[in-house]
Amino acid sequence: MKNIPQAKKSNAPLLIIGAVLVVALLGGWYLFSSSKAGTNANIAKANNANTTATPKTTTIPANAPQGATPPNQSGSATALVTIEEFADFQCPQCAATHPIMNEIKSTYGSRIRFIYRNYPLDIPAHDKSYDASVAAEAAGMQNKFWDMQNLLFSNQKAWTADPTYKQIWKDYAQKIGLDIPKWENDMAGIAAKARVDEDKKRAKGIGVNSTPTVYINNVEIPFAQVNVAGLKQIIDAELQKAAPQGQQPVPAAPANAAK
Amino acid sequence: MTDTETSTNDVKQTIAKLPIAAAIVALIGIADAVFLTVEHYAAEPVPCGAGFDCEMVLTSPYATLSGFVGNIPVLGDVPLSVLGAAAYFVAFSLALLAAFGDKRMWKLYGVQVTLMACFSGLLIYVQAALIHAFCQYCLISAATTLTLFLIYLLSIFTKPKSQ
Repeated sequence: MKNIPQAKKSNAPLLIIGAVLVVALLGGWYLFSSSKAGTNANIAKANNANTTATPKTTTIPANAPQGATPPNQSGSATALVTIEEFADFQCPQCAATHPIMNEIKSTYGSRIRFIYRNYPLDIPAHDKSYDASVAAEAAGMQNKFWDMQNLLFSNQKAWTADPTYKQIWKDYAQKIGLDIPKWENDMAGIAAKARVDEDKKRAKGIGVNSTPTVYINNVEIPFAQVNVAGLKQIIDAELQKAAPQGQQPVPAAPANAAK
Repeated sequence: MTDTETSTNDVKQTIAKLPIAAAIVALIGIADAVFLTVEHYAAEPVPCGAGFDCEMVLTSPYATLSGFVGNIPVLGDVPLSVLGAAAYFVAFSLALLAAFGDKRMWKLYGVQVTLMACFSGLLIYVQAALIHAFCQYCLISAATTLTLFLIYLLSIFTKPKSQ
């Protein structure tokens, strides 16, 4: 470095470094011991604030790979509004989005078509994500995809860092009444993996680069709008757009829907 | 000029401004990282401003080493804030030693803050693309790292003053 002159040897820097280390350790210890006693009344309120970022949106090209066929879908296959979600079972924000999608599904029922696409990301932190998708697909072979998907997302924190996660999944499989030997066979087989691979191919073909990514009628929804109010606004607008002239679509209201 | 005044001037010349600035900025990084480390082990939610979702970021797999090295026993559970605190402390020490005239330490500081800046960039990407949420403390850390890096760049491009 040009503007640092050489100096006489001094113990001062070592003393300062030592003092900073001591202060950091003592400060950390003090914070730790006092943090338990503190109250955090405003934290949840502050944490619930929505982000305001509005990233650019994309559309699904017509020639994009089709993904697993038939897809994991609920609602009505002939609905005027299709919601397609690309998600990863180890993605925290996907788990947070899961109850939002459940609410949307139960609100709109057969007026929408909801498609879930597996997009397990190839990153070390998501080392169980692909297997989780296969486990859900294998459950789907006994018509229990949504039950397994629900348990995997609802209990994400319980299994994601647990080395015995496969046993935990097996417990889920038992809980939802799967034929366990068949489910295990299907997990080891090609068909369930092929469905996950097909979904991944579609995600990559579209250019999905993060999860969750949600499309409504093939248009990507900015993540800031992936909340109940934001999605309802878009879905209502789409229903309005698709309704025959002179006929008003029924706005968002509770309805029964397959989960 | 008295002997005392001469000695004081020597000390003033010894302590260069940029490494001192770097050391002070590194202290901010240490405070930020220590706070996050404490909150991690206290397992309590941190106060978070509007527009941020600190919990989402700080409880994600990317808040620990497991997000980057996989689920290695023990090592995988180490929060990144511990590494951050250690890195800022080393940066502080190197900057301080450089401020007292050790040129080699400033070179090491340069290497270290360059690596830190790269990793900070990765963490910003992770928050934006994978977690879809930002944590204000993580952004403070990123800004601190960027400042440390810019100080180093400034030291490279600053011409020595005539003394």
